Amino acid sequence: MVVPAARSNMLVSLGRYGLLSVILILMVFPLLWMLRISFMGTGQAISMNQVLAAGFTFSNYMDIFSGDLIGRPLLNSAAVGLAVTGGNILFCFMVAYSLARFRYLVNKLLFITVILILMIPAHIIIIPLYVLMLKTGLYDSYWALILPWLVNPIGIFLVKQYIESVPPAMEDAARIDGAGDFRIAFRIVMPLCKPALAVLAIQVFFTNWNSFLFPYILTISSELRTLPVALALYQGHQAVDWQHLMAGSSIAVLPVLVLFMFMQRHVVSGITAGAVKQ
Amino acid sequence: MRWSKPTALALALPWLLTFAAFWLFPIVYSLVMGFTDYQLLSRGYEWVGLENYRQLLADPDFIKALKNTFVFVGGTIPVTTIVSLGLALLVSRQFRGRGLFRAGYFVPSITSMVVVALIFTNLYQRGGYVALLTELVGLSPPEHGFLFDESTALYSIMAMDVWMAVGYYMLIFLAGLKSIPVELYEAAEISGSGRIRQFFWITLPLLRPVALFILVINTIKSFQVMVEIFVMTKGKFDTSTMVYFVYEKGLTTQFQFGYASAAAYVLFVIIALFSVAQFRLLRRRQPLW
Repeated sequence: MVVPAARSNMLVSLGRYGLLSVILILMVFPLLWMLRISFMGTGQAISMNQVLAAGFTFSNYMDIFSGDLIGRPLLNSAAVGLAVTGGNILFCFMVAYSLARFRYLVNKLLFITVILILMIPAHIIIIPLYVLMLKTGLYDSYWALILPWLVNPIGIFLVKQYIESVPPAMEDAARIDGAGDFRIAFRIVMPLCKPALAVLAIQVFFTNWNSFLFPYILTISSELRTLPVALALYQGHQAVDWQHLMAGSSIAVLPVLVLFMFMQRHVVSGITAGAVKQ
Repeated sequence: MRWSKPTALALALPWLLTFAAFWLFPIVYSLVMGFTDYQLLSRGYEWVGLENYRQLLADPDFIKALKNTFVFVGGTIPVTTIVSLGLALLVSRQFRGRGLFRAGYFVPSITSMVVVALIFTNLYQRGGYVALLTELVGLSPPEHGFLFDESTALYSIMAMDVWMAVGYYMLIFLAGLKSIPVELYEAAEISGSGRIRQFFWITLPLLRPVALFILVINTIKSFQVMVEIFVMTKGKFDTSTMVYFVYEKGLTTQFQFGYASAAAYVLFVIIALFSVAQFRLLRRRQPLW
């Protein structure tokens, strides 16, 4: 049978959209499932019929904010996330600037350490970091959640590459005008690096906001739990209280989703930066 | 470059300090601990030489964790790589609504692992959604749920990990596809080669560096699988992995720091070997396929 070109094109694109949509449903379904359960009444069974038939209620969200599942952990996650992100913006810039604009023996050494860290799997420091925190008294404090992650080697890379693409002419001019090294670094170069620093900030914030393992092993008191830790440990009580758990999970996903929607380009370029420059 | 050295060092100081304190020292410390019988509650510790490593090889829990880790890595990585390449090809060309599909496919990978693991714990439970689907297809789901059965638990977690990761690697593949010059396809079009030939002779060979980059980072990441195991099964039902083993031996009940450090170093060596092998491939000039 001969199909006219226009019609066959339409069929092809229809099939394509069909396939794309099926995959889309597969990819977002679990997240929609989470959202749906979070609006179901407590005590309702999570069966297919119930999920379809049950009504919507906000009571789970009210409960978790007045209880201890979300309130404190949300604040902890936000505080730690902001501290680590801020630290990375400042320190990664400083190191990257030093690497990009100074040549000296230590420079090579620094570069090697950066590469080393990129290659070293983090699991190797689980036990020694735990012992170190115990011995130094930092265990079970905000410091344990913040200090080890203040400078991110991938961030150094990202910013260094960016600085190298900026011609140093402006810095030279400022130097002739009598500006000091630090003034040049923070007043002239840093503002120029905003795009790279934004990418870095988002990467670091996402990683930190979602991280579970190290916050879990380096703290013990419930006042220091971050959101992922609180959620993972909440499951352990009695019979799983899915409605509240999924409400809490939705809250944990929300900031990341919103940031992603508004800064999609930055998120994407952070992920692909390493790959294309191979 | 006539700038003062003190400034350079001062700028690098935060990195040097945190690197020394939280990376270099722990890495060396853990190597040393691996040769001792150090435990949390022991007064001192003694050198035991290679005893920890000898014990590890005879420890059935460790062998199980080793086996499961390799099953996890060997099972997820090929599937993740192929599916993410397929997705990238599907959404690479310009069409209406492309941004929506890309974003939708990508969203799982920026969700917290804990949250994803919780959602799938629910989906996989007895009488849960996945069990329902299985019945619809005419198969019988495991009696106590997918995560409470040795024959399905690990594979269920692996499926979840693939679901979560494909969007992330799709983005990297997309960046790779974008870097292929359009002229190559135009030339192929003129010389009359079809879509399939173009894919095998242009797209695949030119994606090789990106594909290998993806393999390297995914390998390093996958060998360290732990959080989903912790949340979903606590290592039960034959799902324990190497990092879970390190956690379990080192930071629960007996706190065997020495023994756990040795286990961590075994994994470290495995990952290093794999990375070096893959970097060798990455550097090779001649095409792989």
